[in-house]
Amino acid sequence: MKWYMSAGLITVLCLGLMCSLSGVSSRAQAAPAEEKITVLNPLGTPPPITLKPMAPRLDTLEGKTIYFVNDGYIGSDNVLYEMIDWFKANYPNTNALYKRKGGGGFESEDPELWAEIEKEGDAVIIGMGH
Amino acid sequence: MRIPSIALVLSEFYEQEKEKAYNEGMPNVRTQWVLGPTWAKTREQIRKDVINGVNPISGRPVMQEIVEKLTMPLSEEDAKTGEIKRTKGPLTFTDTEENLRQMFLEKRYTDFLPIVLPTEERVAEMLKGTSRDSDEVIGKMSPTNTGGYFDYWTFTVKDVAVNAVMAGCKPEYLPLLLAVASTGKEAISVSDNGFVGALVINGEIRDEIGLNYDVAAVGPYAHANTTIGRAWSLIAINLGNCGKVGTTYMGTIGNPMNLINIIIAENEEKSPYPPFSVRRGFQKGESVVTLFEGWGILSAANWGANRWGAEMDYPQIMKDITAQQGSLFGTCFVLSPPIANFVKQRFNTIEELEAFLAPAPAFGGGFAKMKPKPAAEGEEPAADAPPAAKKTMPKGKMPGFGGSSIPIIVTGGSNNNYWSAGGMRPGQSVLIDEWR
Repeated sequence: MKWYMSAGLITVLCLGLMCSLSGVSSRAQAAPAEEKITVLNPLGTPPPITLKPMAPRLDTLEGKTIYFVNDGYIGSDNVLYEMIDWFKANYPNTNALYKRKGGGGFESEDPELWAEIEKEGDAVIIGMGH
Repeated sequence: MRIPSIALVLSEFYEQEKEKAYNEGMPNVRTQWVLGPTWAKTREQIRKDVINGVNPISGRPVMQEIVEKLTMPLSEEDAKTGEIKRTKGPLTFTDTEENLRQMFLEKRYTDFLPIVLPTEERVAEMLKGTSRDSDEVIGKMSPTNTGGYFDYWTFTVKDVAVNAVMAGCKPEYLPLLLAVASTGKEAISVSDNGFVGALVINGEIRDEIGLNYDVAAVGPYAHANTTIGRAWSLIAINLGNCGKVGTTYMGTIGNPMNLINIIIAENEEKSPYPPFSVRRGFQKGESVVTLFEGWGILSAANWGANRWGAEMDYPQIMKDITAQQGSLFGTCFVLSPPIANFVKQRFNTIEELEAFLAPAPAFGGGFAKMKPKPAAEGEEPAADAPPAAKKTMPKGKMPGFGGSSIPIIVTGGSNNNYWSAGGMRPGQSVLIDEWR
């Protein structure tokens, strides 16, 4: 008997808890299963996108200067050193330059380096971030 | 830069970077996908996996693709300019309750738990919790606290109210949620670290809305604590585009605390120290919420320093735990009143305790930048302080801003000597009354 009383009490308490879970009363909202209701879109508003054209590509890599920029994430140097070695072996007339980006963290900008690359370089490969 | 560029990115980030490229207006940007992680590998391993390896997405040789991406002419679409307008979509949805629940689930508007559907009536009822204009734009949020990687989405008072309804909040909780949302601080960061957010709440609002700050204070054991914490995450998901696995969420392991975050109403009445908000320059009794970010908190028993014995030197244990934490977030202590009283017997003030703990220097980047700079007596906050801080910081010196990386909060019951610690760093403190 005691067990049944406890089980009944727990059931009542659970039902009470479920009913109180919703902070805003749902009594007025109870709708039959097939009745349609209207709800609000919960999203924020994203900003517009400004399309940016990509830079024209190179017609050849012969005689060009390619910057390999380490963004500062641990181990990026080794990936880029290996790529430079590959270019030296496969494109000996391409000038492959290694640079370590400044500016603090790996997400930060390095305007001085960007200006140098734009002036002196023909292409840039940046990595690696993980 | 107006020269051909290629970013090297791990293929695990494919979805994220495609979305990022689209949002940045270069949907076809030429990215080179490689097998990762690459760090911790020898050069020989890198040569094998990356240089002589294949793009895991296309299956083609990595170096061959790099050469092609530098030399293959652009398509018409690659050179397009103009603007793509985006909206949140339809303002309302009409369907049966069952279908709407399924749609919210499929569109990832939820945290995967059942929600209260945000009908006009429920949202109108929620908006009774504030005198603010429901259409007022009150903030912007992105999945990274720096805002530099993902775009910011903007939102209104009503948008916050919609998410508060979904979380099961009561109207009287809305001012607190508006104060939190106004900071733009996301509860769910994109970081692979798996960060978690925390709110420390002080002042009269604790009793006004029934926040629990006694036994079981830090956990889902009171309606206000639970639903407010859940609402902050839903706000992040829906108003800041956070928490989408593969794009705006990359927590390597994930973090279960992201569901309701860490909500800490301080037990000011049983704390031997001034409330946390008072130590930040607010008046005692003022309703204030302070936003934290970090790794989360765990029982102090998780640290080897907490050796259990008949006699305990809690300040020394705190010092040992502090020494084990890195400088990224410093160390946050959440002490139960008995532990705080132990500490008080040896250190009369928090400042003395902090000097003893000798924390690592605070990290200078990211979220730390959101901390308003200290204002001298009677001065306004610094010009570069964030707008919310400028609006809400009181005049006067702000102890604790920018200096301490060991916030100490007192909450919970007095039924035993338990306490928690973890790497959590405080950001902005906001007056809640402005959002009533």
